[in-house]
Amino acid sequence: MRVFGSSAARAALVGNNGLSIRADMLHRISALVTLLGLIIAFAFLNSAFLSLNNAMTILLQTAVIGLLGIGLTIVILTGGIDLSVGSVLALSGTAAGLLVKAGLPVPVGMGGGLVVGTLCGMVNGFVITRLRIAPFIATLGMMMMARGLALQLTGASPVSQLGAAFGWLGNGALFRIVETQSNGLPRMVFPGIPYPAILLLIVALAATYMLKRRQFGRHVYAVGSNEEAAHLSGVNVNHTKFAAYALSGFLAGLAGIVLMSRLVTAQPNEGVMYELDAIAAAVIGGASLMGGVGSISGTMIGAFIIGILRNGLNMAGVSAFIQQIVIGGVVIGAVYVDQLRNRR
Amino acid sequence: MSTSNSSAAPLVEMRNICKHFGGVQAVRDVSVDLYPGEVVGILGHNGAGKSCLMRMLSGAMIPSSGDIYLDGEKIEIASPTAARQHGIETIYQNLALANHLDAPANLFLGRELKTRFGNLDDKRMFEEAKGVLQRLNPNFKNLSDPVVRMSGGQRQVIAIARAIHFNVRALIMDEPTAALGPSETEMVAELVQKLRNEGIGIFLVSHDMQDVFRLCDRVMVMNNGRNVGSHKISDVTQDDVLSLIIKGSLPSGWRPRGAAA
Repeated sequence: MRVFGSSAARAALVGNNGLSIRADMLHRISALVTLLGLIIAFAFLNSAFLSLNNAMTILLQTAVIGLLGIGLTIVILTGGIDLSVGSVLALSGTAAGLLVKAGLPVPVGMGGGLVVGTLCGMVNGFVITRLRIAPFIATLGMMMMARGLALQLTGASPVSQLGAAFGWLGNGALFRIVETQSNGLPRMVFPGIPYPAILLLIVALAATYMLKRRQFGRHVYAVGSNEEAAHLSGVNVNHTKFAAYALSGFLAGLAGIVLMSRLVTAQPNEGVMYELDAIAAAVIGGASLMGGVGSISGTMIGAFIIGILRNGLNMAGVSAFIQQIVIGGVVIGAVYVDQLRNRR
Repeated sequence: MSTSNSSAAPLVEMRNICKHFGGVQAVRDVSVDLYPGEVVGILGHNGAGKSCLMRMLSGAMIPSSGDIYLDGEKIEIASPTAARQHGIETIYQNLALANHLDAPANLFLGRELKTRFGNLDDKRMFEEAKGVLQRLNPNFKNLSDPVVRMSGGQRQVIAIARAIHFNVRALIMDEPTAALGPSETEMVAELVQKLRNEGIGIFLVSHDMQDVFRLCDRVMVMNNGRNVGSHKISDVTQDDVLSLIIKGSLPSGWRPRGAAA
């Protein structure tokens, strides 16, 4: 199945007048319109939705899925898939927690978490490029192994009492203004921009630069478009794929330490099914699971659509179960609308 | 019209090339030469081993045994990149284009131009691509579209441009006209003449007997993995070549056409 339309359909869409509207642009615009529509709808449903505090909450909640989504976008662009990111997130976060618990300084412990995540990604890359195992199977195996390892290392119980410094990354914010009231209690004047959101912005910009302006990114798109052609053109296909999975592992590790820092607890059970949210974000943002099509900006819009849906439905008092149903429908709807537009 | 001359040294020599996959012998002890400015047609039915032989020259496959010489010096072609570094370029039958990349990105794929800071120099790649593509086809406009949206002729032009833009010395063309209309076929024919005049050696893999007799100086026919005949095009008729392709031998009582005349 081709997710994103035929060449003939795309050609028909463009026409010959030079005034071509790129199909991928159109997709991003329609996704953006959906996002704005959601915001307006939720604002009408609940007046608290449009508050600054809630905006910051959404930024914070979306940061983790966004980071995973960026890694998955790179992997999906090569024509692969990474099912292990949710588990790798848990393993990296618990590794960081255990290291800090063992007495290492917080930055070193978190660095250790990043190394663990990157190593998991490198194992994925090795299994896929050297052992020639299909990405779906290879990362499914890693999904189970990383989760098992996280549970084994912690005895399946959360690692807590990690100290305030461990929570800085996940709970801190830039430009936060807190004043002490006359009664001695603190009052938050401005919640500030959460560090996870700033981190997401930096990673998104860096990934966009890498994909659009660097040779590695060009090769990522080439491998996903036509692996054989890329190989015959002298692209090191294995190297490109390996790097994509290693990057995805690194970003899963980063998401892991952000999430565990926010909880100030290392939870081996965190991140179950996050990989599917991340894949959904990429697909809603216009990525094709066939490879070669997709963008970081699209995935960011996709991540925010999911984040805002969750947040808005929560505030409207819709149950978590119904939320699953709605988000599932949105994934199918987004791809269907894209196909319709390409068929026209 | 033939500019090949026996006094010049061969550009490419393939010597005693064998390739087997497990027990299957795809190419058996084949030797073939290519001179500068010469067009050699490689013929044979499907599975005769001609594509396999060419893939070993383009670096897509590594011979089980045998040697390849360039300008009389033995070279190892371990990868497509190695072949291109030696000036051996290939236009593949399926064109080998990355569908979602635009024309300049495909043209420079694997050897992208970069700025001082190591960024992709898309501006310079676009300008250079525009130059070479419009030289081949003045009507080539929408360079920035993904090639998946382009016509068969445009895609062919990109594949050709990619092969000739970088100091090509020996060119392998695998069924270059199979998917083309008449005017585009004519463009390819003119290009072959032009490259030949520039002293580039060309291996032309083709099924089209008319193309072969019009463009080639020499033919090499493969049958069941073997070289069953290498002849000047002026020495043979289409029937002779067909006999080589089908039976693996010339008709009984065959004499060179040139000698008979």
